[in-house]
Amino acid sequence: MRKRQAATGLLCGVLAAGMLACNAQADGSELKGPGNVTIKRLGYNVAFDPNADVMADVIKDTTGYDAEYYVLPAENTDEKLVMEVAGGADYDCIQVSPNQFQILMSQGALLGLNDLLDTYGQDIKNGMSEDTWRAASDSDGTIYGIPYKYPYDQEVQGFMACRWDLMQAAGITEIPKTIDEFHDCLVKLKDYYGDQYIIFSGPYLSGSEGNGTWVVPESLACAFGIYSDWMVDEDGSVYYMTEADGFKDMVEFLSKCNEEGLIDPDWVVNSASTVCEKFSGGKSIITSINRNGLGTTVPAMLETLGISMDDLNYIGALKGSDGTCKFMKTEAVNQYTVILKSSENAADVVNWINLKEQNQLFINIGEEGVHFNYAEDGSIEPINPIFADERGNSYWYIDSTNEEEFKKEWPARVRKSEAQWAGFEAVTIKANEETPEIFVDNPFAFKPATEKYSKYNTALSNSLNDFILQIISGTKSYDDLETFQSDFEAKGGEEVRTELQDWYQSFYGNK
Amino acid sequence: MHKKIKLSKSNLLLKVVAYVVMGLLAAMAILPCLHIISKAFSRGADVTAGNVVFWPKGFQLETVWYVLTKTPFLNALKNSLIVTIGGTAISMFTTITTAYPLSKPSFQGRKVFTLLYVISMVFFGGMIPAYMVVRTLGLIDTYAACILPFAIVQFNMFIVKNYFEGLPEEVEESAWLDGAGDIRTLTRIVCPMSTPVLATVSLLYAITYWNNYFHAMMYTKSAGMQTMQVYLYNIINNSQEFAENLASGSGFMANITSEGLVAATVTLSIIPIVLLYPFVARFMVQGITVGSVKG
Amino acid sequence: MMKAKQSIGRFFRYVRRHPMMYLMLIPGLFFLFIYKFAPLYGILIAFKDYNIFAGSNPIDAIAKSPWVGFANFERLFRSSEFVKVLANTLIINGMKILFLFPIPVICAILLNEIRNQAFRKLSQTAIYVPYFFSWVVVFGIFYSLFGSYGVVNNVIAALGHARIKFFTDTGIFRWLLVFTEGWKEIGYNTVIYLAAITGIDIALYEAASVDGANKWKQIWHVTMPGLLPTIVLMFILKVGYILDTGFEQVLVFYNPAVYDVADIIQTYVYRLGMGQMDFPLSTALGLFNSVVAFVLIVSANLVSKKLIHRSIW
Repeated sequence: MRKRQAATGLLCGVLAAGMLACNAQADGSELKGPGNVTIKRLGYNVAFDPNADVMADVIKDTTGYDAEYYVLPAENTDEKLVMEVAGGADYDCIQVSPNQFQILMSQGALLGLNDLLDTYGQDIKNGMSEDTWRAASDSDGTIYGIPYKYPYDQEVQGFMACRWDLMQAAGITEIPKTIDEFHDCLVKLKDYYGDQYIIFSGPYLSGSEGNGTWVVPESLACAFGIYSDWMVDEDGSVYYMTEADGFKDMVEFLSKCNEEGLIDPDWVVNSASTVCEKFSGGKSIITSINRNGLGTTVPAMLETLGISMDDLNYIGALKGSDGTCKFMKTEAVNQYTVILKSSENAADVVNWINLKEQNQLFINIGEEGVHFNYAEDGSIEPINPIFADERGNSYWYIDSTNEEEFKKEWPARVRKSEAQWAGFEAVTIKANEETPEIFVDNPFAFKPATEKYSKYNTALSNSLNDFILQIISGTKSYDDLETFQSDFEAKGGEEVRTELQDWYQSFYGNK
Repeated sequence: MHKKIKLSKSNLLLKVVAYVVMGLLAAMAILPCLHIISKAFSRGADVTAGNVVFWPKGFQLETVWYVLTKTPFLNALKNSLIVTIGGTAISMFTTITTAYPLSKPSFQGRKVFTLLYVISMVFFGGMIPAYMVVRTLGLIDTYAACILPFAIVQFNMFIVKNYFEGLPEEVEESAWLDGAGDIRTLTRIVCPMSTPVLATVSLLYAITYWNNYFHAMMYTKSAGMQTMQVYLYNIINNSQEFAENLASGSGFMANITSEGLVAATVTLSIIPIVLLYPFVARFMVQGITVGSVKG
Repeated sequence: MMKAKQSIGRFFRYVRRHPMMYLMLIPGLFFLFIYKFAPLYGILIAFKDYNIFAGSNPIDAIAKSPWVGFANFERLFRSSEFVKVLANTLIINGMKILFLFPIPVICAILLNEIRNQAFRKLSQTAIYVPYFFSWVVVFGIFYSLFGSYGVVNNVIAALGHARIKFFTDTGIFRWLLVFTEGWKEIGYNTVIYLAAITGIDIALYEAASVDGANKWKQIWHVTMPGLLPTIVLMFILKVGYILDTGFEQVLVFYNPAVYDVADIIQTYVYRLGMGQMDFPLSTALGLFNSVVAFVLIVSANLVSKKLIHRSIW
């Protein structure tokens, strides 16, 4: 006991001195102007040093402001963030995920931005729709962050890429469009190639963009009417993926495929990189993938396997046996830039972000004739390699956008890679032109981060993924749903449902 | 030397066993390593194709060159060297000065002090208070923050203490009778007699500092302060984006793939610490000092 | 009374004669108190509904957060999975101790018998290299080799056998963990025993040799007793940390298909608290592990004192 007291005393003594400074409330409402402050900005983990990238100079030259950039670690991200913020770190602004936004906002660590935006951030304010702003506000209308909306509304993010040369050799003449055609195609390939190839590899687990991770490829789940973990039916009631009509069919379809040897036996073990490795190494014929996956694997694999772009093909959102398909729109706020209460440079941060937005095209895409050209239809065509060299990393520096403008500018970023663009064209652009009816609204696209959701949903969707993978691998069956259900309740599932339901009612009820 | 044939026969058997077993273990240990090392030096196409098993295919140095010149590798190397060398020096000082008194059976209070080290070895306050200590001492983003957690590692201290306890008592007693104080006895007699274990424990400390990821990640924040492990984790976690960006930029080199990049970074990052071992092993020789002092 | 007086007298006599011995302890104790004991205050988090933002800083927040008694421990122990994950932890780490603990001792003894310096250095360094690969990298290597379409399985398939699911077969998976742990750690532990061997007085070997003992006998009667303190220390610690090791490895290697045999306490709590920054739960687990480790270490030390008259303190 004595020891404990001694330890406490020692700690308090050590801490007391340093803590006094942290409490002083900063006043950053005065604009100091470019050259007089250095803005400290913290962002998510990247492999390059953001201070050394050419973008740091581009932004400095454009805005006149000096900035220092810091990155969060890739692991223990949230812990480090809250420890630093609660411990009085001196960052001016932080780029955060919706969950992190909710944590910091609910704890009162963030500065209300309404006045500052009115004074120094007119471009920021006008650049975004009212719905987007609502996603960054509390119930009283106080804005606590500058939201960033995903720039493309209807993208088929998760799709399948395939070795068209091998498929044609097996006698397949058409890319499957329905789930049944897809299954036939897998069977045909298996009959033809046997154990020589992995017929269908996955899942491509990527949490970096959009709607989180999918252990069942999105383009396959959509055939069963499943487009998100939380969905809303026609009557406006919120339901979970396991309660969807198509859930049983979906998991049984996959476990059947596993028994028939049609899918990668290591489906449960795979990560995005092992899936890519198998595809680019010529070990798998069809693979779950996304744009970024194509960008990294295709250039190397063309050389490795001695094939050309024509030997690759893409399978987009599949339709169900009944001809229906539900694919969720990508329109959603998935990042915020927040200013800490302790920042002494709040006005300058807003001014800085505003200046960046005024030069959005130059900062994010570049200069006409140098980094890009306008095509005849008005779209932007990047000039490589200078585009990739000088604007390749600009995505990390984005805080706000003029949404309408950026929607037109952004596809240039996909175009910088031929491999990405090929997949994007074959899957997303095609779906937008030919079958736009498949896209359903993301019911929670503009939901501000809420308490229960932020707290419980990561663990919930993780155990959902585990459950699905266990069914696919044969460790569990659909009949174990009851066990999952009780686990779901224990993990706060019902509380999340209530919260989502309340928000949905208040948002769409008032509209 | 040549005594009985029977004796030398069984001794020979032991020799054979030693060579065979260690040869096999060494092969088993090194083969999987060759897999990743080979990837670092292989043609990009062969790396992605999964053709590389235990030997490079289509030898190239572009990936390694790229890691050395175009990524913050050298800066991370510098930081890790500073932390490792500085940290090991500090740790050895505290370890020796702690282990020596605790190794003396006659030392009054030995039990209590030893128990303090045992308790602290087992109980942790968690990362929040530890972070706050570092923060309050003003050490965030400094080399000192990466050294503080391992300034004394209890386990290493016990190893040194065990060794000190095994030293022949007479030698120190004679030194004491010659009028040497405790410090003199420690620096002039005990330490030179303990070169092997001190070399080994320095190695253990160096390894700990070199391999430390968690504390370096928690206690530093600017890119310039990245240690080797923090840098390595960033590359591993972001190798896809890295390679993708390279693929369309002017830096495009077909040989640089995300897997190859990780392999090259991992390989380069272990070279300094692996090289340290044969160097230290030179001091890990049995009995020389003990024998010479006694003789 | 007399006795106490005597020992106090002895104490002061010693201090007067050896003041430097106490001064020497100061650097170590300084770091011990600053970084190890002061933060122990944080253990209180295990008994609180801790909110890191509750006070003016994270430490102040500990004081300001409300007490919840043993609620966090209840959350830990009451869950239906706890018995299973506790059993898995004991089995996996028990297997590791049983099969891997003796190997570094044997390695060190054998290396000591090798007189060819080049071969000795080479093999010694070779087994030590794997220690420097992080578990993520180790997984990458072993998946390339042992995955369903990895190098090993391709050979197996080419020989006409069915592919072995090293990563998803519940009967094999624990052995995979033991094997990879051994692969990574043996060399490092060997270094520690090699250091201990160097401390053995060469004169003892000479004496044994004169008595006609062959090398095997010398190992048994000279080397082993010389290694015993280190072996005991290592063994006591291994047993003590039986609940507290293997997290990083299992987290990287396991997958939902083998949860039944591979899910250990720490991975389970990790998934439980995912995305929630559940500091109280992880602190409660840490404290539980510490108490278990402390009890195990103290009793293992007692046993060792009784049986072989060796104590680590």
